[in-house]
Amino acid sequence: MQEADRASLLSSPVGRVLPLLLIGLLWQAVSASGLVDPAFLPSPARVGYAIYDLLAGREIRDNLFITLWRAGLGLALGSSVGIWLGLMMARSPVFRAYASPIVGGTYSLPKSALIPLFILWFGIGTTTTVCAVFLACLLPMVVNTAQGVASTPRVLVWGAEALGTRPRAMLWQVYLPHALPDIFSGLRVALGFSFVLAISSEMIASTNGIGKLIFMYGENGAYDYMFAAIACVVVVAFLADRLLLALTEKSLRWHESARGR
Amino acid sequence: MTAKAVSQRGLYFRSLISVLTVIVLWEAGARAGLAPALFLPPFTKVISEWWSVCADGSLPLDLSVSLSRAAVGLGLATAIGVPLGIAMARSRFLHWLFDPVIALAFPSPKIAFLPIFILWFGIYSLSKILLVAFACVFPILIGSFAAASSVNRVLIWSAASMGTSRMTMLFRVVLPAAWPRIFASLRVALPVSLITTFTAEMVSGGGGMGATLMYSQRFFESPTVFAYILTMLCVGLLLDALMLRIQAAFPAWSTAP
Repeated sequence: MQEADRASLLSSPVGRVLPLLLIGLLWQAVSASGLVDPAFLPSPARVGYAIYDLLAGREIRDNLFITLWRAGLGLALGSSVGIWLGLMMARSPVFRAYASPIVGGTYSLPKSALIPLFILWFGIGTTTTVCAVFLACLLPMVVNTAQGVASTPRVLVWGAEALGTRPRAMLWQVYLPHALPDIFSGLRVALGFSFVLAISSEMIASTNGIGKLIFMYGENGAYDYMFAAIACVVVVAFLADRLLLALTEKSLRWHESARGR
Repeated sequence: MTAKAVSQRGLYFRSLISVLTVIVLWEAGARAGLAPALFLPPFTKVISEWWSVCADGSLPLDLSVSLSRAAVGLGLATAIGVPLGIAMARSRFLHWLFDPVIALAFPSPKIAFLPIFILWFGIYSLSKILLVAFACVFPILIGSFAAASSVNRVLIWSAASMGTSRMTMLFRVVLPAAWPRIFASLRVALPVSLITTFTAEMVSGGGGMGATLMYSQRFFESPTVFAYILTMLCVGLLLDALMLRIQAAFPAWSTAP
């Protein structure tokens, strides 16, 4: 009985934050002991103060919004085009035959390698970042959508056809709903890519954005602010991921995978 | 049987056509001057540039530097991630301790930590290798944890009822049953290791494919930029095909979800 109580306490939200607090305490202890040069590892208290200071000012908010806008735009464009292409690939064997070598070839290319090319083409700025994010988000969406649509059971298609569903309605009522779990898992991958690509292209070539800001703090030796800005990125990425998961769960409530949860 | 073989050949044929079309369009567009040669050098020029950077040894050197960084980082991530993932599946305490950290760190863009790694480990190989390990360890950890916790309970119970010790259980029951899915997570981590290596080299220099790519871009040597990108594409394709080959050798029951 006592054991069960303890287990439920540890798995409660409070219990799940405890390990993070432990790490924070350990970190504070290490920096307080003076074993590590405080310039290399600012104490959590100083980083906390830097976070507070940054949140009070405009610098981080403006740059974070710029990055989120670029990542969001690239993600939206990439996922909508990707869903469309994936649908075409799954529905038309001819289109698939021509498109699949190009999709397969570019799928394994590290998309950040294209950033220098985009800098050549579009210069330094939002277009370059959005293009890189777009391409990185496009491919997982194409592959996942194609897989989800192509695996629609024949029985579902026959059933819908027997009930007189029109070809156009088949798309919205059979194929896309069946592919929805795959589309969402592609979206989760694409969301992660959008942050990575936006931040790395800002680090490589940009005049603003959170990636540039982090690097600027590092170059100026403001390491507590650098840690604070990175912490903000981690929290934002975590929240975005959780938001998408919640949305997935809400949209897939009818699906088998939601049962027993 | 024959119809399938024909359609298979037709598929290859069409794939070949589509790749060739892209190359021909590229070459024709560049030659016709649709885009300045600075933006889009002709394909043949890219290939001849590729040949010359291969011949003077700069591309093979950069490739070996990048691949060894990626391989060491991936190896490090495997050496930490697989045992820890299995331990988390076997011990409730370890799961409690590490789960929140993983939940927070897994979705975060690891490249944002690059300045910290540079600060701590310098701008040369060590910082890049450790960043690669940091980026790859989370998918491997999560994959190994899922693989080890989904090992059929009946297998564990029957081994336990026959008096199997903890160590034997681990090496004779849990690891063999979980290995194919652990390998699947390694296949996910492989492109992550390449992407992280190239990107870190592009951002902070210090040799390798990414550094030379950025360097060539700064001096507007477009054919070199294209040659390096094409090489990265081929390396990614080859490594993934290799992993698929290895994965196909596993028995079918073991890879089923």
